[in-house]
Amino acid sequence: MGAYRADEDYDYLFKVVLIGDSGVGKSNLLSRFTRNEFSLESKSTIGVEFATRSIHVDDKVVKAQIWDTAGQERYRAITSAYYRGAVGALLVYDVTRHVTFENVERWLKELRDHTDSNIVIMLVGNKADLRHLRAVTTEDAKAFAERENTFFMETSALESLNVENAFTEVLTQIYRVVSRKALEVGDDPAALPKGQTINVGDDVSAMKKVGCCSA
Amino acid sequence: MYKTHTKREVSLEFQSQIPVLRPSIHSRRANLTVKFQDLYGFTVEGNVDDVNVLNEVREKVRQQGRVWWALEASKGANWYLQPQVTSIVEGIALKSSLKLSTLANAITLKKLIRKGIPPVLRPKVWFSLSGAAKKKSTVPESYYNDLTKAVEGKVTPATRQIDHILTGDLILVHFLVHFFFYLSFSFLIPSLVLIDDLLLRFDGYAGSIDRSATNLSWSPVVGHSGGSCCTTTCLVAYSFRDSDVGYCQGLNYVAALLLLVMKTEEDAFWMLAVLLENVLVNDCYSNNLSGCHVEQRVFKDLLVKECPRIAAHLEELEFDVSLVATEWFLCLFSKSLPSETTLRVWDVLFFEGAKVLFHVALAIFKMKEEELLLTHHVGDVINILQKTTHHLFDPDDLLTVAFDNIGSMTTKTISKQRKKARTGSNGRARSKI
Repeated sequence: MGAYRADEDYDYLFKVVLIGDSGVGKSNLLSRFTRNEFSLESKSTIGVEFATRSIHVDDKVVKAQIWDTAGQERYRAITSAYYRGAVGALLVYDVTRHVTFENVERWLKELRDHTDSNIVIMLVGNKADLRHLRAVTTEDAKAFAERENTFFMETSALESLNVENAFTEVLTQIYRVVSRKALEVGDDPAALPKGQTINVGDDVSAMKKVGCCSA
Repeated sequence: MYKTHTKREVSLEFQSQIPVLRPSIHSRRANLTVKFQDLYGFTVEGNVDDVNVLNEVREKVRQQGRVWWALEASKGANWYLQPQVTSIVEGIALKSSLKLSTLANAITLKKLIRKGIPPVLRPKVWFSLSGAAKKKSTVPESYYNDLTKAVEGKVTPATRQIDHILTGDLILVHFLVHFFFYLSFSFLIPSLVLIDDLLLRFDGYAGSIDRSATNLSWSPVVGHSGGSCCTTTCLVAYSFRDSDVGYCQGLNYVAALLLLVMKTEEDAFWMLAVLLENVLVNDCYSNNLSGCHVEQRVFKDLLVKECPRIAAHLEELEFDVSLVATEWFLCLFSKSLPSETTLRVWDVLFFEGAKVLFHVALAIFKMKEEELLLTHHVGDVINILQKTTHHLFDPDDLLTVAFDNIGSMTTKTISKQRKKARTGSNGRARSKI
């Protein structure tokens, strides 16, 4: 929670959700990206956790608010509130457990059921450091990502491999969508007044510097 | 006590500035994050003042112990375990022949438990007042031993490869395996599915590394040796994946804390049984968490009633209480509150029932009313509530609000509201289909 800074200055706030089966490493991807931490003994996430980190895209400060939740099947019904307002998603599987890759399709369906079609999705094969235990080939995952029109990357939260790239890519792509949409309607996003929500397509929203509070 | 900054370092750092900067010292001190061990050996993070609060809590626990000893001296040992005393509080029909002194004892006990049970008495008091002792008394003496043996018999057919399990607490695993085996026969939660993090241990618990230090001894595990035990246990656990029995993420936190408090694995087992079968709402941990959903809907209605301003504001933000309350109702606050505060909540939970969870949940919102009303984002709401719960090191801060500032509710009214919430959810589910 220490990474959360409400008074920080930013141009865009993007909500990104982490989804995927239990034990694929969602929480460690989050902690690696926002705090540069990794824990071998991480506990199962029950409710919702989130952390934030700001990056620069072009000359803008993009603040990512990344949400993490339980991956266990029975929790899925609870989380419709979890998806609300999400503009990006990292759909994580474990490269050493094929079943987590098989379940990606169901996660993708759930994601598309709950979010706008413009959402930026990246398929993430985590635990890429466990080379000798690999059960999902890069080619298979790549083919799946192409078919489903999502981005794809293999990561290792443990070795800090590609974690930065994966998040940065998603955030940059969201930024591109937002600024392109803004140009199409002839509107400069930076000129929007405080508290305004930018609508992308129907629902994908990027909150622009909403007067932030307290904490 | 704490690792990153000692008191000495802190004082050295600030000594030179004291004359000029006195007013700001407190605020700067408050912002220093330190890691320290709490009353039960859990490593927690907080600021310097949290450590001071914890020291005060330690002292209060000692004082509360003296109150209990004094009462034992005047009323006799185990006065609080008399069945008449406990049944009054449960609301069971009063007999006219009941002595006034028994009634007085019941009232004393209720107050006393809200002020906290001394840690050393917890195993005894919980076991008796929760109904676990009664439950245990309905089965043969050898029941638990037989169960343990039956589970061991299940080891050989298990062949599933366990490939991603992390380092774990064997005792907890063993314990849960036994428990789910028991459930499979009682058909209480037939559709639970055993999941993969059975071995994820209660993070930061020093006792799991040095069990002797916390005086925990678990005979069923001692008989095994090293790695084979781990594998065996894993395989046993996994053999249950094929049967309809399983376990819900969240229950591991509850079981771990029960194991920590109760003196024997068997007693912890019965505590878990009484908790799931009698104390909590039905189906709380079932495969669709339906009981947990019911509790959250009841909680939402209670929030409107008890904290209307907050409820209205959160509605406007489209904040769904499940974002924070799922963890509260499934882990019974053990993942959110500091350990002594959690145990104080459980003291009352085992005596007064599941309504206590609503009192506590409402209190957390109420304590931060003004701050919550200023939020503009769902994220800020979650942030405030999580930060608040993590820093509630003084249990009395929370419990005073929970029982003095929240309107009283009875188990009966809660049951009614649950019924309403259940039919409501069924209706919604049907309309979806």
